[in-house]
Amino acid sequence: MQESSISIDYLDVRAIEAIGVSEGGTIPAAASAQDELYHEAAATYGVALERLARAYEADPDLRRDLLQDIHVALWRSFQGFEGRCSLRTWIYRVAHNVGASHVVRQRRTRSEALVGLEELDRLPDANGREEMADRGHALDRLLGLIQRLKPLDRHVILSYLEGLDAASIGEITGLSPGNVATKIHRIKTVLARWFQQGGEAHE
Amino acid sequence: MSEAPNNQVLQIWQSQPVEGMKMSTEAIRLRAGKFERKISRWYLRETIAALVVIVAFSYFFAKTPQIPLRITWGLFIAGTIWVLVQLVRKGKPKTIPADMGRSNCLEFFRSELERQRDLIKDVWTWYLAPLVPGYVALNVSFAYPHPIGWVRWVLLDAFFVAVFVGTWKLNQRAARCLQRTIDELNAMEPSH
Repeated sequence: MQESSISIDYLDVRAIEAIGVSEGGTIPAAASAQDELYHEAAATYGVALERLARAYEADPDLRRDLLQDIHVALWRSFQGFEGRCSLRTWIYRVAHNVGASHVVRQRRTRSEALVGLEELDRLPDANGREEMADRGHALDRLLGLIQRLKPLDRHVILSYLEGLDAASIGEITGLSPGNVATKIHRIKTVLARWFQQGGEAHE
Repeated sequence: MSEAPNNQVLQIWQSQPVEGMKMSTEAIRLRAGKFERKISRWYLRETIAALVVIVAFSYFFAKTPQIPLRITWGLFIAGTIWVLVQLVRKGKPKTIPADMGRSNCLEFFRSELERQRDLIKDVWTWYLAPLVPGYVALNVSFAYPHPIGWVRWVLLDAFFVAVFVGTWKLNQRAARCLQRTIDELNAMEPSH
């Protein structure tokens, strides 16, 4: 990424002042802890965040912007991280919240209506199963499916695809355990209907 | 239901190729600074636009000897100042909140929708209504001393009323759509 190579000489002065960097250039302990948390988060969850950004934005340039916004939001959020929830829950909450804001903003310019999980089955695309032997094609189809979902359903399916359990999904999304269970059941049904195991014949 | 297709989908999802983007904290701070600058530019743009309108109305105010027209331009100036103040209070772009991780997705998404709903539901009262007294005064002060034919005035007034009412109705409809989504989210809360 080009921006990551920007020299400290070109830093915006107000941005530095905003986080309390002193004139001598030393970063206070709080800011340093914030940076450390951010580095830990980026190292552990950077790849997952990229996948997540891909599910929220199809356009590559806008996606790069969104991913950078997620990183900035994460870094900013660590000013207030008190360890009341796990680092993973915090990171996914921030990332999904930035993603949801992005979806809400983009709805003003994009006309295609978003649907809920329960409506996905009624869409015409659900009639044809994807052969998963072609992984690239299957991934495109999966992304297309996710990008049609309303934000909260998108949070749930993404968390499911990242391998999170129902309790963690509930903690991240704020949904009741019953709601999470229902949505996961629907996700499994939808995925089973949209995709089939490689090598099986089409229905 | 067979878990096999689901497991394969999970595998496809988790093993997809990624760019491996990394941002240094310096680059992050730089981008965070850009947000602040964007908001400063927004303030500047809105203020300049309002000042241009206020200066123009002030010129008309100073030039006209007629009291009714002075009142008209005065009302427009007051209305524009009110709109500017409200725009700065309610319409400014949001920075990235520092406490995003404290709210779960449901709370955050709902608060975003509520903010938008309130903004568009009340747009009539803070964006359009403040200019109505000036427009009415313009009708009264201009139509009577300089009659240009009542048909033209009626048509002009009908046009503005249609624009105002149309804007109001569209916003109310959009607010209702947002409210429906908010109600759906409320129904998903653990307490329900």
